[in-house]
Amino acid sequence: MFESVEDVGVRLREQGYICGKNIATVVYLATQLEKPVLVEGPAGVGKTELAKVVAAATGRELIRLQCYEGLDEAKALYEWEYSKQLLYTQILKDKFAESMAGATSLREAAARVGREDSVFFSDRFIVPRPLLRAIRAEEPTLLLIDEVDKSDPEFEAFLLEVLSDFQVTVPEIGTLTARTLPFVFLTSNDAREMSDALKRRCLHLYIDFPDEKVEVEILDSKVPGIEQRLAQELVGVMQRLRKLDLKKTPSISETLDWARALLALNASDLDEALVRDTLNVILKYEGDIRKAEGELGRLITRKTEEKAETAPPPPAKKGVLH
Amino acid sequence: MQSKIVEFTNLLRKSGVRVSTAESIDAFQALDELSLGDREVFQDALRATMVKRSADIPTFDQLFELYWSAFYDNLRGAFEQAGESMGGEGFDLELLLKQIQEGIRSLEGELDLSELAKALLTQDLSQLEQMIRDAADQAGIQRIENMLQLGFFTRRTMEQLNSEGAGRELRDLAQQLRESGMPDVQVEALLELIEKFLEALRKGVRSYTERELQQQNFDYMEKFRRESLLEKSFYNLTEEEIKRMREVVNRLAQRIKNVLSIRKRRRKRGKLDLHTMLRRNMGHGGVPFEMVFKERRKDRPKLVILCDVSSSVANVSRFMLQFVHSLQECFTKIRSFVFVAELGEVTQVFKDEEINAAIEKALDGGEAINVYTRSNFGQAFHYFWRNYLSAVDHRTTFLILGDARNNYNDPRTWCLREIHTKAKNVVWLNPESPSAWGFGDSVMDKYLPHVDAAEECRNLKQLSRIVDKLIL
Repeated sequence: MFESVEDVGVRLREQGYICGKNIATVVYLATQLEKPVLVEGPAGVGKTELAKVVAAATGRELIRLQCYEGLDEAKALYEWEYSKQLLYTQILKDKFAESMAGATSLREAAARVGREDSVFFSDRFIVPRPLLRAIRAEEPTLLLIDEVDKSDPEFEAFLLEVLSDFQVTVPEIGTLTARTLPFVFLTSNDAREMSDALKRRCLHLYIDFPDEKVEVEILDSKVPGIEQRLAQELVGVMQRLRKLDLKKTPSISETLDWARALLALNASDLDEALVRDTLNVILKYEGDIRKAEGELGRLITRKTEEKAETAPPPPAKKGVLH
Repeated sequence: MQSKIVEFTNLLRKSGVRVSTAESIDAFQALDELSLGDREVFQDALRATMVKRSADIPTFDQLFELYWSAFYDNLRGAFEQAGESMGGEGFDLELLLKQIQEGIRSLEGELDLSELAKALLTQDLSQLEQMIRDAADQAGIQRIENMLQLGFFTRRTMEQLNSEGAGRELRDLAQQLRESGMPDVQVEALLELIEKFLEALRKGVRSYTERELQQQNFDYMEKFRRESLLEKSFYNLTEEEIKRMREVVNRLAQRIKNVLSIRKRRRKRGKLDLHTMLRRNMGHGGVPFEMVFKERRKDRPKLVILCDVSSSVANVSRFMLQFVHSLQECFTKIRSFVFVAELGEVTQVFKDEEINAAIEKALDGGEAINVYTRSNFGQAFHYFWRNYLSAVDHRTTFLILGDARNNYNDPRTWCLREIHTKAKNVVWLNPESPSAWGFGDSVMDKYLPHVDAAEECRNLKQLSRIVDKLIL
């Protein structure tokens, strides 16, 4: 799939995903060791996006399973299509009567119906859910299990079983084994600590907010047409905003939204009034907005001072993402 | 390499990072796949395979630095320095080394150098690193305990390495080179270089023993830090400690949440709900394919909290309010009040404001009460009884946080009695120790008959124990 760590970086970049070495290393290792990757980090740093671009870069089909409280096997693995089965029995009534024709006793009739069992419990009537689809796929796939922390502990245990050997048993049909091992990504927002058993089977990747340099780069690639100076100012404000103690720290998607909003407003320079007016694009809570408004002067003036000094941005120490 | 990884794994474990055997095997496999030239990649690979909790990442990074980078970097630094310090006018280290290599080649056959001497001469740092590690092990470096032993262990390790022998060999080599016709200038330079390298080696060994000492102490220090924090009373907290405290409280709250979600799921299956089931299965021709169960009555604990914010418990109540805030994020049915003499509700404040602002507001009386009076529990309870008694029912846990120092006012115990009869249970968390209850202006003893559980709660350890009781 990938030739080296550098290759991962280059090919993800081709898909428009800018990432640091740490992400590339883990992705490369996961493909080599054929292990699932558990991706953690704050909301909006591109955890799900990573899975999507890896799928695109490797040409695999992306199969996504969104987790939520109460998600069970029927929704994740497979389900029998009751109404279709029912419909077929209705339509095939005559056929049944035919095959039943010679039966003399009730017992014999039941036995004959029994023989036809497999007609109704076959591939035709099964609704494959994401996990089964990943297992039955002809081509290699990428299975994304999104927000796995939202699922219940029982489901996690079940997931463990599926992930360990990629086979499931459907009582009426038999055991299905994956033809090709899917590449698995699990994402978590840390709403719940995952069990050690699950963590042990996965490689762990923690994605944090990007540093200034990487964020500007992301902005450049995602919002074409933005002026370099505006991008830098904007990212500077965002970086300082993240240091405030906010209820919801603005993420990269908010940076992008904000940049697009500013472009739409034809802004070429950040000033206090403009930031105040557009603050609701980046902050989602009333309390946060009020807090940021209080700090507004500091958020922006600090930037102008820095500009006067023209201090070069600190070298990227931690490799980061998108 | 393998032994180093195993050692590093042990170090992680000692510092409280859980690494299973399967995970260290993963690490080996991962390293097989990668070229080890790049330290960053190496670090990422180890981190991805061994560290599975984001909270452990800082510990890992710190240990990695300590274990893998610091010593090697020091060794390299020492040798670079040795090379640089040779620089007289027009001196070329590379050239000298090349000439020495040539000289050695011409001596071929008569030369019998020890491993160490060879490694020194070729500046084979990774070889040296391994040799120092082995020698230090043999010198019993694991037993190092304090700064005073640094010199001793450095010397022992040097002896173990037989550095003097290597020095002698090298000087002999220089002599041989001189005899074989190497110009004097070069031989002099070589002799100087040998001394410099030996010095660099000593520095390297020294830095290794220092590192070893740090390593022995690291987990010990970390453990000490945690223990002392748990035992520490809520009075006198620094910023950093408050931060750590908040993390622990959040973890507690998380545990409560988990327990609640288990309850919720157990609750799900009640009796068969015939009506709804028939209606839902109309689509299947009335054949009941999907079962529908009645939901059992929700057994979600209700909580009413009264928090004393008078100046005598200022530091404690700040923490307590933090705890209340976390609780409020978990429970939907919760009402919080603060009081000194008057009583005011702060539920909404806690819901709207971010934690620090909320605590500040609550400490300020939540815009409802005057905090600059003397505490009067009797009056506060009376006020609650008169205005908020409807908030209490047979499913409510009534939680009081305060020291019961009533300033010799009337305790009005009947109010608490009335509340007690209505509530499921009444819990009192008192920052003072039980031996002080009832002494001076404390009226704790008068309230005790109307309280189901009274606990001393001044620090985190006590609090976490009480939380277990309260919820489980």
